[in-house]
Amino acid sequence: MAVREATSIEPEVAPDVRGPTAPLPATVLALGIASLVVIALGVVVSQVNYALSDRVLTQNCLDEEISSTDNGAIGVCSIVEALEDPLSTGALYLGIGLGGSALVLGASTYRRMDSKRRRDQAITGAVLGSQAVLLAAAILWFRSASPGLFAKHFLNFADLQGYGGAFVRGARNTLIMAFAGELGGIVIGLVLGILALSQRRAVRAPARIYINFFRGTPLIWQLATGYFLLLFGFGIRISGLVVAIIVFALNTGAYAAEVFRAGIQSIERGQMEAARSLGMSYIQAMRYAIVPQAVRRVIPPLMNEFVILIKDTALVVVLGLTANEYDIFTTAREGQSATFNASFFTVAAIGYLIVTLPLIRLVNAAEKRLRSGLVGIAGAGG
Amino acid sequence: MDNVHKWFGNLHVLKGVDLEMYHRDVVVVVGPSGGGKSTLLRCVSMLEVPTTGRVFFEDRDITDIRANLNEVRTHIGIVFQAYNLFPHMTALRNVTLALEKVLGLSDDEAHDRALDQLARVGMGHKASAYPGQLSGGQQQRVAIARALAMDPKLMLFDEPTSALDPELVGDVLEAMRKLAENGMTMVVVTHEMGFAREVGTHLVFMDQGVVVEEGRPTEVFANPQHERTRAFLSRIL
Repeated sequence: MAVREATSIEPEVAPDVRGPTAPLPATVLALGIASLVVIALGVVVSQVNYALSDRVLTQNCLDEEISSTDNGAIGVCSIVEALEDPLSTGALYLGIGLGGSALVLGASTYRRMDSKRRRDQAITGAVLGSQAVLLAAAILWFRSASPGLFAKHFLNFADLQGYGGAFVRGARNTLIMAFAGELGGIVIGLVLGILALSQRRAVRAPARIYINFFRGTPLIWQLATGYFLLLFGFGIRISGLVVAIIVFALNTGAYAAEVFRAGIQSIERGQMEAARSLGMSYIQAMRYAIVPQAVRRVIPPLMNEFVILIKDTALVVVLGLTANEYDIFTTAREGQSATFNASFFTVAAIGYLIVTLPLIRLVNAAEKRLRSGLVGIAGAGG
Repeated sequence: MDNVHKWFGNLHVLKGVDLEMYHRDVVVVVGPSGGGKSTLLRCVSMLEVPTTGRVFFEDRDITDIRANLNEVRTHIGIVFQAYNLFPHMTALRNVTLALEKVLGLSDDEAHDRALDQLARVGMGHKASAYPGQLSGGQQQRVAIARALAMDPKLMLFDEPTSALDPELVGDVLEAMRKLAENGMTMVVVTHEMGFAREVGTHLVFMDQGVVVEEGRPTEVFANPQHERTRAFLSRIL
């Protein structure tokens, strides 16, 4: 075969489509960061400033329906005054200016940056700037409505004095219900999940009915009805807390069953075949080969269910619990109805977050570990 | 095997296969993909239940609904293309599990027997490794040890080297060759024609769900009788 001769035609050079290199990527980034910092500093500093100085109930606050007879009125007033202080105002408008310029500058130049790093700086600066603009606008909007009225009801912690012990007990009851409910749910779910995988419709059907019933009705209805069903229907006299745990376990069981079913189905078919080909029965194969692997895969979704259950325990507020059975939310509800101050709920929300945020981090870490495929090797083994 | 048919839904995969084999035979099944080789092999141990037809093992009809398949399967070892080791257990535990749970051996007996089998396939030094830490060839040899430890009367190999990198195929084939030399009765589905020719005592060529041709490997390779066999061999050799 003859080698083709090189042609003498000049190869056409593609035109250089790169524009001139844009300047100032670091400036855009600095502007974006500065805009957020200015807003945060201005608002926080003026709040601290007012909190620490001599505080009075101003006319402005009286106009906002904060009266001197309100418990904690002066504290609420200083929150409002700090928000309307020139320092806050200046910081908010300065933040909008800085953020806006970072957004405009970054958006118009990022395509012409000459390296990946500089382009990232410009884009990050523009994004931060836009966040600052939105944040400042939201605060200004909030300020222009009735911040006093809101602060009086949701940020007035004077009425919470003396409720510390009640909240600790509430937190303990919430965790007891969530843990016990989840544990019971896992046991119920594992059994139901395996039944739902049966080849036989007669075995599958009751499991499906159970799962669909508990997934298909509101948990709040299950709680309320379960309470009276046990009491009147079966004549079982047990505390509301135990009823709640039973209902949570039954409900979580339905969701956990779906998690286990999916986990077992996700194990390669070859694992079951390998176990059966060694003479193991179906149950032995499940017990030694399939379920131990499935359990590892279902840990993140089950932890997810646990986080959901922690929050759902708040629904026991509909049950007639005795005072020492109150969960966090019911404790807050009692405080609120005694004082007409909804700041109890603000504290309750913080209480839930203290428990759920670390758990959410843990779920994400577990998912990451599972994805990286380390689990098969690092697992406990048999 | 007697007139075995297998349907997957509307797909007729095995169209009446008759096959007979004897103690110490090494039956090698070759043929194009999708020809029913693996399905045939899986019917031998009833991992796939034939739609019609019967499968006999030592004169027992194992397609009979009353057959104790768990017991039958302890006599039939299988090595899969994808190894199918239990990833949450060490190589050693992979082997001892069924010895203890199925054969009822004590921990010590199972341990000794497993180490013995692992050493035989050259994996004694990796007994405490997890499958994820082993290469494909090493995993496959552990899988062979796992099947052999049950002391089976018949070994089935379902394309045992197809998932391996070329440089790892040799070790696995060597382990199988030694096994054949020691008189194990084997059925091997494979694309390794060299192995089929040298180790096989009986060659079965399957295509489109039927046995097209069978006979001594050397004779079939040298003088294929059917057009389809000729076409297949000319493509692959």
